Amino acid sequence: MEEFRTGVYICMCGTNIAKIVDVEAIAEFARTIPGVALAKTYKYMCSNPGQEMIVQDIKEHRLNRVVVAACSPNMHERTFRSALRSAGLNQYLLEMANIREQCSWVHTNKTEATEKAKALVYASICRVKHHEELESVSVNMCPNVLVLGGGIAGMTAALELADAGNQVYLVEKNNYLGGNLTRIDLTAPYLYSARDLLTERITRIMEHKKIRVFFNSTLSELKGYIGNFTALIASGNGTGEKRDKTETVEVGNVIVCTGYKEFDASRIVHYGYGKLPNVITSFELEKMIREGNIRTREGKIPKYVAIIHCVGSRSQEFHPYCSRVCCMTALKYAQEVKSAIPGCYISDIYIDMHAFGKGHEDFYRRSSEAKTLFLMYEKDDRPVIHKAGTKDGCEMLIEVNEKLSGEHIEIPADLVILMVGMEAREDSHDVARLVNISQDKEGWFIESHPKLEPVATTTDGIFIAGTCVAPKDIPDTVAQARAAAARVLARISREKIEVDALFSEVNENLCSGCRLCNTLCPFSAIEFDEVKKQSHIISALCKGCGVCVAACPSAAIKGRHFTDQQVMAQLEGLLAV
Amino acid sequence: MATRVNPEFIDDLVRFGAEDVQLCYQCGDCSTVCPHADEIYKFPRKSMRLLQMGLEKKIETTLEPWLCYYCGQCSEQCPREADPGETMMSLRRWLISRYDFTGLARLFFRSRTAEITAILIIAFFTGSFLLYYGFSGGGIGIYDGEGAFLPSSFIHRFDLTVGGILLIFLLLNAARMWKFTMIDGTHVKVPWWLYITEIWQFPWHFFTQKRYAECEKKHEHPVYMPWLLHLGLMLGYVTMLVLVMVFIEALQSGPEIVWQVHIFGYLASAGLMAGTIYFIRNRLKKNYVQYKKSHGTDWVFVILLTIIVVTGIAQHILHRTGVPEWANYVYVVHLMAVVPWLLRMPFSKWSHLIYRPLAMYFSSVRREAIKRQEAVFNNYPVFVK
Repeated sequence: MEEFRTGVYICMCGTNIAKIVDVEAIAEFARTIPGVALAKTYKYMCSNPGQEMIVQDIKEHRLNRVVVAACSPNMHERTFRSALRSAGLNQYLLEMANIREQCSWVHTNKTEATEKAKALVYASICRVKHHEELESVSVNMCPNVLVLGGGIAGMTAALELADAGNQVYLVEKNNYLGGNLTRIDLTAPYLYSARDLLTERITRIMEHKKIRVFFNSTLSELKGYIGNFTALIASGNGTGEKRDKTETVEVGNVIVCTGYKEFDASRIVHYGYGKLPNVITSFELEKMIREGNIRTREGKIPKYVAIIHCVGSRSQEFHPYCSRVCCMTALKYAQEVKSAIPGCYISDIYIDMHAFGKGHEDFYRRSSEAKTLFLMYEKDDRPVIHKAGTKDGCEMLIEVNEKLSGEHIEIPADLVILMVGMEAREDSHDVARLVNISQDKEGWFIESHPKLEPVATTTDGIFIAGTCVAPKDIPDTVAQARAAAARVLARISREKIEVDALFSEVNENLCSGCRLCNTLCPFSAIEFDEVKKQSHIISALCKGCGVCVAACPSAAIKGRHFTDQQVMAQLEGLLAV
Repeated sequence: MATRVNPEFIDDLVRFGAEDVQLCYQCGDCSTVCPHADEIYKFPRKSMRLLQMGLEKKIETTLEPWLCYYCGQCSEQCPREADPGETMMSLRRWLISRYDFTGLARLFFRSRTAEITAILIIAFFTGSFLLYYGFSGGGIGIYDGEGAFLPSSFIHRFDLTVGGILLIFLLLNAARMWKFTMIDGTHVKVPWWLYITEIWQFPWHFFTQKRYAECEKKHEHPVYMPWLLHLGLMLGYVTMLVLVMVFIEALQSGPEIVWQVHIFGYLASAGLMAGTIYFIRNRLKKNYVQYKKSHGTDWVFVILLTIIVVTGIAQHILHRTGVPEWANYVYVVHLMAVVPWLLRMPFSKWSHLIYRPLAMYFSSVRREAIKRQEAVFNNYPVFVK
């Protein structure tokens, strides 16, 4: 058996660690442990000189194990792994002891903190002895891409990918392209026509040799893993197996752009939507504007028009989030209605004016210049719409506690426009299940990191873009669609893809074929071999979470890099000091 | 009971000079820079809000517009260029038209034609009456004494009559102002003796215009010129009014100069001249925020004032230099401007002479009443819901 020569490196992290933990004492302690060749401290181990020191030591002292006592491995495990690689050592022969987040940052007593740090370092030294040299696997990357949803996001992503020469399968539920944007006339704040935005794209897609559009279609099954998916697309009328025809396509990546649906305004009783004839939703007004005919149900030209913001948004009862597009759309209506009916009076009843984007503040100002009366209400103290009496001179009266004046007021209205928010589509759960991604409690798809990985998901090869992720406006949607396409193109260009070595393996000699693990796997990475009657783990899909390892009654599954031996050694080390 | 919003109200206020009200988004910068706004009187922000929403009844009962002297700092500060200073000014015009029960003020503020026509009609009747009276009883060549064209005793009676009419209108309007602000607009109990303990506020603010001096931007001017000239104009005005109403006989005697009386006349004339020139110059140059926008009535005001001052000085000089015939003609012209000017007062911006100190007085009474009630609540918290 080889001799263990472990290098222990203790980082001071400036003063982050060194202020509370006596790093020299730890180095002193580490040197006494059998198998430790050297122990060093340094100001910033993650810095270039720090890494360089590790590389030099590995070469000079023939180290075969490395322990870095520093911050969380989430932060710098990659950094030190690459240091090991450049020194010619297998990167998995590294173990990190977290003495910052789990020690110096959470303790005030120096002596106790140093003792705890010793235990953590000792545990890592014990563990690293059992580390194995692991190699990551590589899989083929099929260049075809499946795009779900033919809205502005899906079309943008499809064109981006197809223009780069890749075959794209665009699956659209309806018999037309364009999605929700087809219901909109002009877009805020520059008043570009939505039709202009769409037609150019639709024409190009329909004529594109590399794009195949499946109308009236849905994804009914997705099997495989990154680079090697098999998608079953059901087309035609009916649902599920009753579809007219199904087709199988091979793809390497999937971009989900399934979009949103609008909030059902009749859920809010205060507004009487569906009962009062002249209370309409923003989409109904869009229809009137496109027809060039803004009228009440009775066919009269409205004199008082009221716009109510945040219908279904920003409330604890319905959706706590902001739908992001309604404020600007409401301002657009204020200007459009005013220019269509110059004699009318527009009241804009809002909670807060979210004019966050480029050109939005100017747009807000222009609505003020169009003499819009802005009235503020308190969140969850909704306005109430009543039918007006015959003497009131208007159709309805909106009662509200106006926040800026502190007055309890009623606003005359002939036409009330409800700015309905966005919500996740009712079939989003099915989509999430099919492509194996997660949803938050509102039903939006979850990105793998909200800031740094906004279009990737926890399932490799599945990307998300547009309003299926969260409410957003057109520029953000298009940006995300292009970002997702760029991510896919980067993958395709490599032809093969490396998969992390941290996956689980089934020992076929021990597996009894109970299939317990098959249902538990959150990544659908375990398939059942009907011939051998045994479970098999698809390493490309496995994230190494360890659920199956813990669940297997026969202890037939081994989590690589998290073997029983390794974990037990770490625990024993932790308790030994 | 909910108050009905009237979105059409701001259209009406445009005629009174408020053009950019709807630009305001209620950030409150104006109230922060205003040296006069406080916890109880939150203006201009609150006034802007009431105006945007068209709560007429509410605005009618507010005293805030009168507490503003229009230094213009709020308008300079406003990030939306909503011009709160000018809005307060137009609210004062609107309030004047509200206090006035005849509806004439509203008519004059909204229509220049109506205002000028009314002035011309009154000037014509005044001129005709004076010429008829003069030629029927006296000689155009005699200014004072026996056979005078316009004897001072007659002018005295004439002045008192005009002044009486003016006073009746003004008192009635002031009474309406009191009812709106102190009965309808004050929601706390006002003990009657507060009206007595606070009465000093009225003459104090009338004669010193102390609050206008507080508008001063301390670091920019050693003395706040707009305040000084405004005070000069007002004192000149009041002095002249007293001279005309009480000492007209001495004023008209001569040609020798009666220094005990005429010295006041000269001082008053100087004050009026300085003030008038200052206002015309600023309104033309628009170098201060408060003079950027001039309502039509503002021009009528200064033009009429100029005519009065110039003709007044001219008839005085002509009389003293031995040209009584011309002195009489110019005197008639002078009175043709003075009478419409006086009669117009209760229906014009000029009435702020009374309303503003009254508002200071009322606001002080209201503030004391509110303080008293708060003290009661603080001592007996059980009553507080």
